[in-house]
Amino acid sequence: MKTLRGVAAAPGMAVAPPAVLEPASGTGAPLIGLDAAVTESCRQLDLLAARLRDRGLPDESEILEAQALMAADPQLLEAAGQRIAAGMAADDAILAAGEEAAALLEELTDELFAARAADVRDVAARIARAVRGEAPPRLSRRSILVARDLTPSTTAELDQSLLAGLALEGGSPTAHAAILARALGIPAVVGLAGLLAAANGAAELLVDGNAGLVMLEPGAEGRQRLAHWETEHDARLDAERALHDRLLATADGHRVMLGANIGSPHDTSAALRAGAEGVGLFRTEFVFMGRRRAPDEQTQAAAYAQVLRDFGERPVVIRLMDIGGDKPLPFVVLEPEPNPFLGVRAIRLAERDPELLSTQLRAVVRAAAEADVPRPLIMAPMVADLADVRRVRTLLDEAVAAVGAAVTPQLGIMVEVPSAIVVADQLAAEVAFFSVGTNDLTQYLLAADRTNAALAERQDPMHPAVLRSIASLVAAAAPRGVPVAVCGEMGGDPVGAVVLTGLGVSELSMGPASFGAVKRALASVTLAEAQELATRCLDAPDAATARGWVSERLAV
Amino acid sequence: MAEATIIVRNRSGLHARPAASFVRAAAGFGADVRLCNLTRDPGRTASAKSMLAVLGLGVGHGDEIRLEATGADADEAIDALLALIAGGLGEGTAEVIGE
Repeated sequence: MKTLRGVAAAPGMAVAPPAVLEPASGTGAPLIGLDAAVTESCRQLDLLAARLRDRGLPDESEILEAQALMAADPQLLEAAGQRIAAGMAADDAILAAGEEAAALLEELTDELFAARAADVRDVAARIARAVRGEAPPRLSRRSILVARDLTPSTTAELDQSLLAGLALEGGSPTAHAAILARALGIPAVVGLAGLLAAANGAAELLVDGNAGLVMLEPGAEGRQRLAHWETEHDARLDAERALHDRLLATADGHRVMLGANIGSPHDTSAALRAGAEGVGLFRTEFVFMGRRRAPDEQTQAAAYAQVLRDFGERPVVIRLMDIGGDKPLPFVVLEPEPNPFLGVRAIRLAERDPELLSTQLRAVVRAAAEADVPRPLIMAPMVADLADVRRVRTLLDEAVAAVGAAVTPQLGIMVEVPSAIVVADQLAAEVAFFSVGTNDLTQYLLAADRTNAALAERQDPMHPAVLRSIASLVAAAAPRGVPVAVCGEMGGDPVGAVVLTGLGVSELSMGPASFGAVKRALASVTLAEAQELATRCLDAPDAATARGWVSERLAV
Repeated sequence: MAEATIIVRNRSGLHARPAASFVRAAAGFGADVRLCNLTRDPGRTASAKSMLAVLGLGVGHGDEIRLEATGADADEAIDALLALIAGGLGEGTAEVIGE
């Protein structure tokens, strides 16, 4: 048995044989003309759009509706027709015309429009398949679908009764395939490096969409895991449903603000539906990804303003770019670094290239003004000390002046560099809030590279060193009344959420999929009990022991 | 020829569903309807009946656009499309600034 670790994208668990999705090869069906293929493709897309709308997925349905119009687009068909007249085969002609249209859309600076390029390519591929008389890809038996990535149309097209789970080598939890999987209740794991090669020839897979892992040939151990999960699943679901409309609080009514972590404007509707009181972490890297040049101020402002408008009165914490180091971009010239996590990353980039950060700050200020946000919130990542805060503050003040905005955003920091905790009392005098990034804090505090699988056991934030650090941060923040939030994975873990509440953290931000489990865990203890558990964990010999104590109390 | 200028006020501009509603409405008229994004690319016009052409103009929230129609039902086309945009294309309200 082999286990691959990826990123959990949709909760649940399933065991089934893998199905590697490939288009059906030529069936020998007669070739049809372009016009007939277009008609057929439009019909399919309209049908799929209606199916998604019926399932309560308006956003994904819209993509397919727009694709149906693209399929019948006079400009696209004219471009394909010219190629056919010049002697090109109809399927090649539509693919080439689609590629041309996609390339034009990719040139647009606005992220939302550029994203439609993938939709055009998908449409052209669909028409080409129809020309060749190929059936859409399909599952022949109950399977776990294995692929590099999936388009919304393909995901929608698969027979859901046969789709036991989804395992993607690429993709991200914010990809449409992941959103669909969540909406359809299919467990999904994405970002599984080496999946396609490993799954090739495997008889059976287990997908654990909670832990974010895939087991190859799970055998008896996997079946036991599945049985255990299934027995608990129904009871858990009932309890979480009952809590959906309730705020996050302990059994005795101590409130903790519940925020959502989002990675792009596409995530807002799911977060709002799940009952987010705000956004505790809006990652802005999406706006920089997949580009050859840095996005300009307008492009960024449009993307940020969309999220701010969607959340209206609810607070949204916009985190400044955390790029560089292990997340390189073509337009950021980075020296090769032996230790990228300890290198020129995030706000450290501003020392060499201040314009990148200044542009983002102006875009955020502009977006807040456009969306009429009374109290915009900005979070600086990788802050090590007061000098870092002041450097960002100076750039922020310049950005406010340049835009001519009436309101200066509140500046808070992401607490992930251990030195920030050592000097937290100094920082508390100059920042509006702290938000702990527990993943990086744990790796830095324990000097254990979180990308190194051999050190995976050293990544548990329940380690007493991490808990004591957070306790000392809360103590340093309290005299100034600076709120302490947690936006790392620890906040979305029921055990972690209870302990953090006991330590005095006032806001937890996490992926909306974790809301139910965290509400349920917190509602099962009083504040005094959470404090008692937290105090006990501070003296635990190691993370596993601390986790065991809390799990036992929560019976999870 | 009939023409009008309007600022697009709905949340995401002429993108995805709003663009689809707009293109469908334009395609319902016999008149040739063209669209220009005055804010981003005033030198270029595109067919309002082509989804790809409309998307290609990159009309975002707050952009000013010009509609031009030629043909028997040109006035009706402009009136209907203005009303659609002013109504927010299903996303919220907009305002007409000139005709």
